[in-house]
Amino acid sequence: MRYLILILFTYVKCDPDYFAKRNRIVESELRIALGGNMSLTSKENEVNNCLMRHKFDELDYAFNNPDNFGLSHHFFKYKDNIPKSKVYKIIKDMPKGAILHIHDMAIIGPDYLLNITYMDNLYVCLGKQISFLFSNKVPNTTCENRWELMSEVRRAAKNVTAFDAKIRKQFTLVVKNPDIVYPTIKETWTAFGNFFSTVHPLLTYRPIWEKYFYDALKAFRDDNVYYVEVRSILPNLYELDGTVFEKIVTAKAYKKAIHKFMRDYPDFVGAKLIFAPNRKVNRTILSEYIQTARQIKNSMPELFAGFDLVGQEDAGNPLIEFVPQLCAATNLNFFFHAGETNWFGTMTDENLVDAVLLGAKRIGHAYALAKHPVLLEMVKEKQIGLEVNVVSNSVLSLVRDVRNHPLNIFLSLNLPVVLSSDDPGAWEADPLSDDFYISFVGVASRLADLRVLKTLALNSLKYSALDPAAKTLAITHFHSKWNSFIENFDCRSY
Amino acid sequence: MLTLAYTTLALLVTITARTIPDNYNQERRALLAEETLTSVGGKQKLNDEETRANEILMKLKTNELNASYFNPQHFNFSKHYFSYKKDIEKSRVYQIIRSMPKGAVLHVHSSLMLHPDILVKLTYEEYLYACYTHDSIKLQFSKATPARPCANKWALVSELRNNSSDPNAFDAHLRDYFTLYRENEDYDYVDINTVWKRFNKVYYAIKSLITYRPVREKYWYETLKQFYNDNVMYIEVRSGLPDLYELDGTKHGKRYLVELYKNGTDKFIEEHPDFIGIKLILTRDRAQSINHVLEAINVTRQLKAEMPDLIAGFDLVGQEDLGRPLSDFIPILSEAKEEINLYLHAGETAWLGTSTDENLVDAILLGSKRIGHGYALTKHPSLMSALIKKDIALEVNVISNVVLSLVHDVRNHPLATYLALGLPVVLSSDDPGAWSAEPLSHDFFVAFMGVASKRADLRMLKQLAINSIVYSALEEDRKSRLFAVFYDRWDRFIKDVISNESYRDLEVS
Repeated sequence: MRYLILILFTYVKCDPDYFAKRNRIVESELRIALGGNMSLTSKENEVNNCLMRHKFDELDYAFNNPDNFGLSHHFFKYKDNIPKSKVYKIIKDMPKGAILHIHDMAIIGPDYLLNITYMDNLYVCLGKQISFLFSNKVPNTTCENRWELMSEVRRAAKNVTAFDAKIRKQFTLVVKNPDIVYPTIKETWTAFGNFFSTVHPLLTYRPIWEKYFYDALKAFRDDNVYYVEVRSILPNLYELDGTVFEKIVTAKAYKKAIHKFMRDYPDFVGAKLIFAPNRKVNRTILSEYIQTARQIKNSMPELFAGFDLVGQEDAGNPLIEFVPQLCAATNLNFFFHAGETNWFGTMTDENLVDAVLLGAKRIGHAYALAKHPVLLEMVKEKQIGLEVNVVSNSVLSLVRDVRNHPLNIFLSLNLPVVLSSDDPGAWEADPLSDDFYISFVGVASRLADLRVLKTLALNSLKYSALDPAAKTLAITHFHSKWNSFIENFDCRSY
Repeated sequence: MLTLAYTTLALLVTITARTIPDNYNQERRALLAEETLTSVGGKQKLNDEETRANEILMKLKTNELNASYFNPQHFNFSKHYFSYKKDIEKSRVYQIIRSMPKGAVLHVHSSLMLHPDILVKLTYEEYLYACYTHDSIKLQFSKATPARPCANKWALVSELRNNSSDPNAFDAHLRDYFTLYRENEDYDYVDINTVWKRFNKVYYAIKSLITYRPVREKYWYETLKQFYNDNVMYIEVRSGLPDLYELDGTKHGKRYLVELYKNGTDKFIEEHPDFIGIKLILTRDRAQSINHVLEAINVTRQLKAEMPDLIAGFDLVGQEDLGRPLSDFIPILSEAKEEINLYLHAGETAWLGTSTDENLVDAILLGSKRIGHGYALTKHPSLMSALIKKDIALEVNVISNVVLSLVHDVRNHPLATYLALGLPVVLSSDDPGAWSAEPLSHDFFVAFMGVASKRADLRMLKQLAINSIVYSALEEDRKSRLFAVFYDRWDRFIKDVISNESYRDLEVS
């Protein structure tokens, strides 16, 4: 009784408008945030209720049992549990628009690459690091051991399963104990670099390359992605006899694979190419790259989206090094990697300044942007798309607990964000669904709902390099996929 | 002719392609200058001597950070604080920060301020009994064996120590109960609840030692000495005012501890006249009932009426995710704020969109004078605007957030964003004793080297120290005195840096 009186007494003293004011603030924050001004149809609301019930279940359990909250750990520690999540299953089935930041060599996972090692004419060098090469004779390139035919080595292996497991390990960064294997960014990028060196000669054998990209498009479509802008260093393809082709041939192979795929799957919107060579080069080579970009643009304008520079940003050349040439290359669209770093106030960090000043259409990662209020305003004003890759940033040692990923700031400010996956094959992630799931449950607000997911999907088309007419078509196409997802949605099936 | 024109044009293109266009450079410089101007300390003007000291500081900072940038496998700040703690002493930047006047500490909890080495010395007091269980310890001063239950058995610490084969090892083991820090253990990644359980154990062990009145007096004196030696001239201490006891079992009420703090501090000021003093922010555990919190507010009100200079205000403490959200206490807090200033913990969480996260909304609506931690604030743009408009300072405790499992690599700490935005930030240390940190210098060092921009310099450090005075609860006259003491020490600090022989090689022009 005394308690009751106390409560009555104190409530009388309270500002009667307090909770109204409070609600206004919480709601206004949601309204300002990405997806906040979207309204849902009644059927979408039903889907949203189902989605949010499962999201709250997951998050409220995690809030009360943080020891069981996987997403605060390294991706490798929880990735195998993701498919159990109902939220994930819904996201998997949901049309997600486009992938705008992905590197061609790391799209499909290690099992696919292992299969390639069963092909004829493959030589292997079992050194400290395993190297491969397709050839019609024993390769004469250096090998710290000796070149042998893969088929013979495999036949000679006592246990083929164990042998294949060992080979498969070369095609993935995934390990059981990531905190020990990858204590810092140094070890991670070393492993990541080795991954590319191993994969490169397997994929760049011309017949494989054409098939590989076709299969990659299939993987995107299977993950409910219908358009892609792929970054490529345009590796020089080769034949069994050692013939090496120019970069333009690689670009043509892309064109061919895309055509074939679209003939087979007419509901696929398409793909474009961002020429993205390594940033660790001198100015002369960069000029050659710009020449190549122009050449491809001229001969295949519908394929070519623009130009970028890749490789570990801290270890490569900063953009400022190439500003004179990039300023002069006015006829190219830029999609620069910038600010994929934790180093505040360094040259890598200031790549963000140059990306903005050079007029980049989108920025890859922009992880450091939240520390740059002036740039952040410019990004918003100029509507420069931010290609955010949460799983990549976690695997590549920028952030451990994804709740500390700056994406949550970008979302709360409604910056032009698109979600992408960077190199999903290298860490055995989905083409896009894992990134969507982790961003939605681990990074975004607990209160972020279907409107955020739909806006992110729409953003991926809005900020794509499609020309206006094609963009309109792509968005119409997305809405029809989306509507059928909504119409056919049955909460009981999750 | 056409060929000539083409060649000339090509030549021109080549030449321009070798240099950065002037307007590009101008725009770039202007942009970076605007970012610096926006950031904390960006508007500070340095005099000639300060400029020279800054050059020395920045040479050292750049050298140390470059070494890390090119060898990230050795970069310490990306790892847990415990893995690099003992290397901090080696940093020359740290030596400067240690000797720099840092103003005030505004966010620190009374029982966890003192280094465990000194706590161990306090266990040499007579009549101390210990009750060891497998992973915790209870201490009590008593003439006879304490009557309180003990799962094992009560024994005199002096006897245990004398009987042990190695008293140093005995003390080292005892010290482990007073700190989360372990020197030679790889720190595993534990979740927030597990680490808070360990943290609470440390707290209870220390509390059982320092609720004995004679020990508390010594504890307080030693604490002030450590903060003073770390160049801190004023402290606002959060305290729950536990009852103290005497050897004969007599208990003292809350008022007694307030007076003990006051008398102890007055005595310290007599010996150290440039120490300005303390204020208390009284607290209650947020996990407790509304009635209990109301009771604590009433005690605060009463004590503030009696000792207005000493009592700064009220706060709720304890693990925020597990305690009650502020919204549970709105009626009593909005009534209290008419008479008592609030200094609320809020948003000490990584959970966006949860009740803990929304404590930030309530802290601002309740007119909190400052916000403890505000870790989640960067995710709330409109709250950030409100904070700037109302000039509410954020008490940021970087090392605490690492140790208590909010962030791993400090470069991801939101302080970087607060600094870039020029928010009203003060640096503090929360519970430095509980992780064997220096009173404030470690937090300044990690914030300056690990979190702030590589370009952040002496202006930022000075601004942070000034902020701690500006946003303190001091009344005007003592605030001016603190400023006078600070500037006096600051001038001497600058002179020491520029006249220090060991920096001769670094000075540029």
